[in-house]
Amino acid sequence: MSHSIAVDRALVVISFKRRLAYKSHWFFGLAIGGGSMLIAMVMWQNLIGSGTLSGYDWDSMRAYTIIGFVAATMVFGAADWIMADRILDGHIAVDLTKPVDFQRARAAEYVGSMLSTFPTAVMGVVAAWLLFQPPGPATPLAGLLTVVSFLLMFPLAFGLTYLSTLVCFWTKRYLGIMWLREALLSFFSGLMIPLAFMPGWLQAVAWALPFPHFTTTPSAIYLGRVDTAGALGLLAAEAAWAVGLWVLGWLVFRTAVKKVTVHGG
Amino acid sequence: MPILEAQALTKTFRRPDKDSGFKGAVRHLMQRKYKNYTAVDGIDLSIEAGESVAYVGPNGAGKSTTVKLLTGILRPSEGTVRVMGRDPHVERIANAHDIGVLFGQRTQLWWDLPVEESLKLLKHMYGVSDADYKRRIERFDELLDLNEFMPALARTLSLGQRMRADLACALIHDPKMVYLDEPTIGLDISVKDRLRAFLRELVNDGTTLLLTSHDLADIEEVCERIVVIDKGAVAYDGSIERLKAHYITTKAVNLYLEGAANVPELAEKFPDYEWTAGEAPSEVVVTYESNRFTTAEVLGSLTAQLSPRDLSLSEPSIEDVIRRLYAGELTK
Ligand SMILES: Nc1ncnc2c1ncn2[C@@H]1O[C@H](COP(=O)(O)OP(=O)(O)O)[C@@H](O)[C@H]1O
Ligand SMILES: [Mg+2]
Repeated sequence: MSHSIAVDRALVVISFKRRLAYKSHWFFGLAIGGGSMLIAMVMWQNLIGSGTLSGYDWDSMRAYTIIGFVAATMVFGAADWIMADRILDGHIAVDLTKPVDFQRARAAEYVGSMLSTFPTAVMGVVAAWLLFQPPGPATPLAGLLTVVSFLLMFPLAFGLTYLSTLVCFWTKRYLGIMWLREALLSFFSGLMIPLAFMPGWLQAVAWALPFPHFTTTPSAIYLGRVDTAGALGLLAAEAAWAVGLWVLGWLVFRTAVKKVTVHGG
Repeated sequence: MPILEAQALTKTFRRPDKDSGFKGAVRHLMQRKYKNYTAVDGIDLSIEAGESVAYVGPNGAGKSTTVKLLTGILRPSEGTVRVMGRDPHVERIANAHDIGVLFGQRTQLWWDLPVEESLKLLKHMYGVSDADYKRRIERFDELLDLNEFMPALARTLSLGQRMRADLACALIHDPKMVYLDEPTIGLDISVKDRLRAFLRELVNDGTTLLLTSHDLADIEEVCERIVVIDKGAVAYDGSIERLKAHYITTKAVNLYLEGAANVPELAEKFPDYEWTAGEAPSEVVVTYESNRFTTAEVLGSLTAQLSPRDLSLSEPSIEDVIRRLYAGELTK
């Protein structure tokens, strides 16, 4: 047990270091993420002014935008294509000769890669806080549960990414799958526009998917748009998705590994 | 009980069956026709602990596919593999503790990190103790000069350095069964020599080795047994000595005459031997059947009647035998 945890930790650390080896990616991520956050701020300030839109006023919209920025930095900054590339270029052959569970090892690597976005997220949040001074959490408990929601984002993001990289066993291509996943996530998470602005049926579609937990769940909890019971319900749904995707990933891999055809030496 | 046993091992790949060009690609998209291609075709192989086996065959013969089947990466289409009593594909993780694998054309180093980081990660994965790790690294350093590039980023290594580092990665957990797929590919002579010396030590220490290579020197210097495969099937399996004794039935002498050699005239004069022109005009190669004539007899008759300026015997070469095996000239 402690041995496998040591392996997990080693994988987290090595993948963290690998990501940090690419400093340019990093600054790029910060610039893009920070830039989108600034644009969103300006846009919402103009749209909302001193009124409200579907229950959001300019105060809450500032907090919402910052939460969206953190979620986006975490999920878009993690190196999902590294996982996909290993399947596509045949390096999976090497992975399969190692005495570790494939899924668990990839999860550890993914967590390390998500953690490498931490400095970017912190820098962006500090700058945004100084510039826009958003309101604090509705209650201290809401603040705490928001953190829980962010923590659950790690297994949830891994589950989605892992499943979409496993699709490479069949498609032998990744780019399209990545675009599709990122587009669905940007739209149905509420990252582009809050789900509350969408017609009811579209909101229903969104809530039938795992995506809202990437922005809508933490921001709803933070802003007190749900009470404590509601917050716990959202977190339970988020956790259920994380577990469900893990199990699904495990099942898909079991089928996929029988299909491995690594060409060449 | 053998450490490794494969029975009727077969792997069939499905290949898209499409005509070339854009039209072919479109037609393939619509019809999805596939052809089956059998890369490994009913191989039986049994390896005892401590053996060193060369797995040899022309390009595309199915060597790498066999290694992938034996290491549990691929699932056999038919047949079975047992390594230390386990099915390596089904019990992949348990099997992985006991085996070391190197694919010469694929590195297992983390490309963007120092070599040392990759080795340390493997140390964790295999649960190697600090003391064992230190001892093994020291030994690899002695034989492979590992420390020369331990702190270097893997992507900055030369091919020879990369292969040495990869070899250390494959052996850091002291595996009982080692598979090396083309470990000397693309290396220069001096690195090859060191690698072979290292592999000889490994075999002397009792590690079981299966090695595929194009380089016949690898095979002769490191292995005792040779398995030749062609088109996915075993063409020869036995000791290298037996292969030579059985199939090398001719020997050759190079003669350097005073003047230019007249090959037809010589052939008429000595009809028992086969005569061919050498590289220089004054050089001829005399080939004779080693079970009919002794070398002393041949040299005696040649020197008495031709008084050559110089002569040399060519060593029987396993290359020729294997080349003829590939060409289908020889049978088991
Ligand atoms: N994943 C694959 N899909 C289809 N054909 C393959 C695949 N892998 C190998 N082959 C084919 O199987 C044959 C044997 O390949 P391989 O085992 O790599 O040969 P070797 O290592 O002896 O050169 C080759 O014709 C190769 O093209
Ligand atoms: Mg090969």
